[in-house]
Amino acid sequence: MGEIGVSNPFSEDLVSRNLAEACSVVIFGATGDLTHRKLIPALYNLAVDGELPAGVKILGFARRDWSDEFFRENLEKLNREVSRTGHDDEIWEGLAANVQYHQSEFQDEEGYQRLAERLDAIDRERGGKGNRLFYIASAPEYFDDILLNLKKAGLSQERPDCEGCWSRVIVEKPFGTTLATAQHLNEVVNGTFEEKDTYRIDHYLGKETAQNIMVLRFANAIFEPMWNKEHIDHVQITCAEHLGMEGGRGGYYDKAGALRDMVQNHLLQLLSLVAMEPPTDLTADGVRDEKVKVIRSLRQWDTPELVAENVIRGQYLAGNVDGNEVPGYREEERVDPESETESYVALRCMVDTWRWSGVPFYVRMGKRLPKKATEISIHFKETPSVLFNATPGGVPAGNVLVIRIQPDEGISLMMNSKLPGTTLRMEPVKMDFRYASSFGKSSPEAYERLLLDAMAGDATLFARRDEVEEAWRFIDKIHHAWAGEGKGIPIAEFPAGSWGPREADELLAKDGRSWRRL
Amino acid sequence: MSALISTQGLGKPVEVTAIDREFRKLWEADDASTNASLMNFLVYTEEPEKLVKNSEAIQELTREHACRAVLIAMDREASELGIEAWITAHCHLAHGKKSICSEQIAFLLHGNSLGRLRNTVFAHLNSDLPLVFWWQGEFSDLFEEGLYRRLDRLIVDSSTWTDPIAGFRRLAEARADTQGRLVTQDLSWTRSYFYRLSLARLFDDPIAQRHFSKIETFRVTAHPAQRMAALLLVAWVITRAGWKLLSRLPDERGWNLESGESGAAAIRLEFTWLEDAAPLAELEIIAPDCTVRVSREQGKSHLSQAICTEGHCLDFSGPADADEPEGLMASQLARGGKNSLFREILPQFMKLLEGAG
Repeated sequence: MGEIGVSNPFSEDLVSRNLAEACSVVIFGATGDLTHRKLIPALYNLAVDGELPAGVKILGFARRDWSDEFFRENLEKLNREVSRTGHDDEIWEGLAANVQYHQSEFQDEEGYQRLAERLDAIDRERGGKGNRLFYIASAPEYFDDILLNLKKAGLSQERPDCEGCWSRVIVEKPFGTTLATAQHLNEVVNGTFEEKDTYRIDHYLGKETAQNIMVLRFANAIFEPMWNKEHIDHVQITCAEHLGMEGGRGGYYDKAGALRDMVQNHLLQLLSLVAMEPPTDLTADGVRDEKVKVIRSLRQWDTPELVAENVIRGQYLAGNVDGNEVPGYREEERVDPESETESYVALRCMVDTWRWSGVPFYVRMGKRLPKKATEISIHFKETPSVLFNATPGGVPAGNVLVIRIQPDEGISLMMNSKLPGTTLRMEPVKMDFRYASSFGKSSPEAYERLLLDAMAGDATLFARRDEVEEAWRFIDKIHHAWAGEGKGIPIAEFPAGSWGPREADELLAKDGRSWRRL
Repeated sequence: MSALISTQGLGKPVEVTAIDREFRKLWEADDASTNASLMNFLVYTEEPEKLVKNSEAIQELTREHACRAVLIAMDREASELGIEAWITAHCHLAHGKKSICSEQIAFLLHGNSLGRLRNTVFAHLNSDLPLVFWWQGEFSDLFEEGLYRRLDRLIVDSSTWTDPIAGFRRLAEARADTQGRLVTQDLSWTRSYFYRLSLARLFDDPIAQRHFSKIETFRVTAHPAQRMAALLLVAWVITRAGWKLLSRLPDERGWNLESGESGAAAIRLEFTWLEDAAPLAELEIIAPDCTVRVSREQGKSHLSQAICTEGHCLDFSGPADADEPEGLMASQLARGGKNSLFREILPQFMKLLEGAG
């Protein structure tokens, strides 16, 4: 067999995925919450599971004047609190020995030159391959500076002296705030890194149940033949949060709103997984080609009338959540008392494809709802009422397949069953699959999977440029209507701790439907 | 009949004909627990005294693998035919909240009767769920086509075999009889999983890759009780690297290997068996200027990985495989799959095994 420079024979067939490659991971915004609560615990848990490639170095890049030691101590403190698998000192020490801190302003070009020198030194020390993974977890206003400075320091380009080496970038959300800003950011990103090396993270796609949507649809022959307008009446996607604007998040949220913060990315990604055609293969572009077609096929709500008819925006008033009195949205800390930002949004989306013609996808997202839950429900058409229409109570509603994304990940199927007794009465019963009950082993956190994929060069679970821009195109038109001629469209109100405004119920009621009770 | 065999902890003794009814009663009396099952998991032994130990193993395994467990112990020495059964449920709090339970039926079969094992197995399965069979110890005449033809997955532990050549040949026959449909797994192979992963990761490094064609020595140190695990690991390296077995070393402690590289010297494969070593203690691949090493100290739960070149070493650490069969079984069940890599390395493994005499 001889030289193995092209591929490593020992990695073939060892695990059923691409093996992650050793690299230096540079995290921008390293002193922030995301790094401490998600990224480092994710890398630690990968080490616990033996998934982290040997020789991974982690460099935290941030403005604060911290030492390597202080940085590691802070990371360790949080890892002890939040790590999925607990904290093992021996494994932590192995990981921490490869963690360093790099102090620099994000705008400081010289800081990036020093970073390049440090990375070169690490590569020399490692004796070879200089793979680099840049994770931009800073506040979005620094994205441009970071990307441009990486380019100036020569950190984003392929190096002629390093055959087969790669430099990749992971960009956190929000990826733009409008179509124009997303396009601008894409220009900057793609002016720095090639699209194939750009990983726009949407952590929802790293969740076990989101990944299971494709398996459910395409690995089970009973579902796909029914996955169309002939058999499905409508689809509901719900993302309910019981939290409000705690921890000062009102400042960011009041500028974004539910539509931009959640629908543009997470919920449209889920919608596209549910509605996409079977991909020709499971390559990143094979899957993403099909997803983007769905988003491109969304009927555009581009006039104030269409927006008023199909989109409901709302805000919570003071109310009661989890037994506690909570303020209304406009009374929240760092929220404009005159704010017109939606803390709740409900939409009717139409996917204008052959498969989905006439099937509405109802999407809702809200803060301060009664509980935290994200799920997709597929509502099948009712059976013809020819056999059971004379029975007391008639035929109950059609079958509902529910895919629970979080918490309590799983799948359930509602079907009708005869009640025991001498008369023919029917009631819906539930067949329920729960990940936590069926698989004792806890699922990896979304960030674990996504970091590993980025190290392995698998972009399937990351958003592509056209996906992001098409989603913004759809969202922007609704925003323009709210901000322009449609400014008169009222903001629906509802008490905190309830399931959203009456207008959202009416959105479905006028179609003869109702929101699923969670 | 089981007066001499401990059955403590097996649960409620039941008539064989009443097992389903007794389970129904059990669940009707308990609204707070959920009965979960992803597979039928059968554990068979011809050492009856292991029944209680196997039940304890199921108690642990069901933390991660909800199943209907059927434990069967055969007391073949008993003069009279007889059968005893017990039922119980192993319950665990899932994520600190809901109690998730797995059903267990334990059978103690007395006397020697050929079809009874098969009948006992197939009469007490959860329909439609996969059938995983853990055969403990050597294969006996009860391992017959009528039994294994209906299994989805057969798991053995070749480290417990006194005649591994016969055991692996029997395994190959079973695969052939089922046209390859039967997935076979060996806990001795599972035992080397993190060694394989570590070696694969080390050879991602360009330093290791550059020296690959110059490898001169390949050393493996293991505990003598884990000879099968060591040979399987070596067979994997040889198969993946494209090397060939040439001849036994004169001292019979290893082999000369051919690298396939024209003009390259033979690679010397050396085994060291140490009573006080970890099950798999060390794997070392040595080229003139580069040594790649994966090792484990006895009692440690981590593997040390190192690449040494030109006077300095880069060290890493990673998880190690479990030592106990229960832990290995939990890992094996979590991985699933068709185990095609195991099948792929068996020809080289058999050469090593048969060549070793």
